Amino acid sequence: MIRFENVSKVYARGARPALDDVDVDIERGEFVFLVGASGSGKSTFLRLVLREERPTGGRVYVAGRDLTRLSAWKVPSLRRGIGMVFQDFRLLPNKNVYENVAFALQVIGRPRHTIRTTVPEVLEWVGLDGKEKRRPHELSGGEQQRVAIARAFVNRPQILLADEPTGNLDPTTSLGIMRLLDRINSTGTTVVMATHDDEIVNEMRRRVVELSTGRVVRDEADAQYGRREDILPLVGPAPVLDAPGRGVPRPSVPNPRIVVQPEPGDLAAERAAEAALEQGAFDHDGAQDDADVADPPGVGTRSRRAMSRAGVEEA
Amino acid sequence: MRLQFILVEVLQGLRRNATMVVSVILVTFVSLIFVGAAALLQTQVTKLKGDWYDLVEVSVFLCPDGSTVPTCAEGEATEAQIEAVERAIDTELGDLVATTYFESKTEAFEAFSARYPDGYQGTQLTEEDMQASYRLQLADPEQYQVVDDVLGGRDGVEVIEDQRAAFEPLFLALNRASLVAVGLAAVMLLAAALLITTTIRLSAVSRRRETGIMRLVGASNLFVQLPFMLEGAIAALVGAVLAVGGLWLAVQYLVVDWLAQSVDWVNYVTTADVLAIAPLLLGVAVALAVVSSVVTLHRYTRV
Repeated sequence: MIRFENVSKVYARGARPALDDVDVDIERGEFVFLVGASGSGKSTFLRLVLREERPTGGRVYVAGRDLTRLSAWKVPSLRRGIGMVFQDFRLLPNKNVYENVAFALQVIGRPRHTIRTTVPEVLEWVGLDGKEKRRPHELSGGEQQRVAIARAFVNRPQILLADEPTGNLDPTTSLGIMRLLDRINSTGTTVVMATHDDEIVNEMRRRVVELSTGRVVRDEADAQYGRREDILPLVGPAPVLDAPGRGVPRPSVPNPRIVVQPEPGDLAAERAAEAALEQGAFDHDGAQDDADVADPPGVGTRSRRAMSRAGVEEA
Repeated sequence: MRLQFILVEVLQGLRRNATMVVSVILVTFVSLIFVGAAALLQTQVTKLKGDWYDLVEVSVFLCPDGSTVPTCAEGEATEAQIEAVERAIDTELGDLVATTYFESKTEAFEAFSARYPDGYQGTQLTEEDMQASYRLQLADPEQYQVVDDVLGGRDGVEVIEDQRAAFEPLFLALNRASLVAVGLAAVMLLAAALLITTTIRLSAVSRRRETGIMRLVGASNLFVQLPFMLEGAIAALVGAVLAVGGLWLAVQYLVVDWLAQSVDWVNYVTTADVLAIAPLLLGVAVALAVVSSVVTLHRYTRV
């Protein structure tokens, strides 16, 4: 589905490459975590898949197309088959929830009756039923991210890219977002998610591709986030972190964590999404009208997976 | 669906940039007034030429007695010389000359006597003081130079006169006026183009969020850019319509109602001429908007 062959990307002549000879092959229906320090090339990877950038070396294949040879006027049709979610949601503040999702269909010229039926379905599916008229600033962060995911998914893309989608969210809300992404993945959509969140990666146990200064240093199935030292080798016990009491064991609290209570809206949205799933809302028998690519033989049927279940099938 | 969506976008954009849009309208309005004025002056020149050139002739004066011109060294034009001139007119200028008329000395004297029955400035002239001439009406009065080349310097021809020369100062003035108008129009059009560029750029920046998402979800280039182009085009078109209206009023009140009443022997431009150049002005406005928006958008909203 996504194949990088010896891909290099140098932004400015003479600068350190953002990606350096990267070889990655992501099958249809996979869920892949892209981890690595800031500046390790995760975002560049995603931008190359969207063809917002072109590689300076090597080839990028997405959904059977060679992006290095794709002419500019075909880029929109490529992007219609890819959904993208960001850390900062990128919703339009002057449009309400419904309009934000509908916008994605309007601008690619979907007929009005399709929009009228599809948008409520996908909103119910992400657990935002009844909040169509809210503006983004009236929603919690988790709800906003759900709107953004609904917008990315409403056109039933084959690929969903997520650039640190939980980066602005508390752990519990993040978990809800991850359930949503997992549900999207279980419909057969390939999901690639760049993240720093070790807890999520460790819990999900999916394929992990680790980048470091533009190189793939690890690519494992069922993997964990990895030790922090591996990712940030240069950060030792810096003086500023040597606060008083550091390293002193605190027996009373075995695993000190700040407990964050998520906003009620996020919890409600998650419950609603679960309920909608039970009822089979937004079921995926709808025909893909962007029949961009034929399935490569041998890859395809995937069973629905629950979040708790670990393990990735490797094709 | 798409059309309605784009129109809503355009209206929002126009409202958001109201002051810039107004300035685009005004600058286009003024520049197109100049373009239109130049076009109307040229129309006026054409009308005058059409009217007056039908009346003008080229006169080929034959040598009278006692002329000092070198070609008249042999005295009054002889029969042979006159025949040679006539042959030259028939053979060499046959295509150019619509009608030829020979005015003999007798006829010239009759015409003179009819015009000045009491003699000219106190002197009593006789038939012998008159001069025979060929009066040529040219099919295309602009071809005078050819006649001069063929007949000038021939023995027996004293001088060739083009009556058109009488109008030249007027036409020169009108042409210079159109040139000035065109020059001012060019400067104003440049200003309008730059202003449209700035307006579109502002609009593009203020809507960066929307266009970013449009590109992300796979809207086509045209779909992303069309609202901006339409914004510029609508502002320019409104300016053009105002310019047409302004010219129409100017022609109606200055020319038709006033000038044509006081000096009525000239065929003036009419409001119909204003409507005839209206498509030109609208076309210039649209071209202006399209060119500046394509240049701007190429840089600001590329996929």
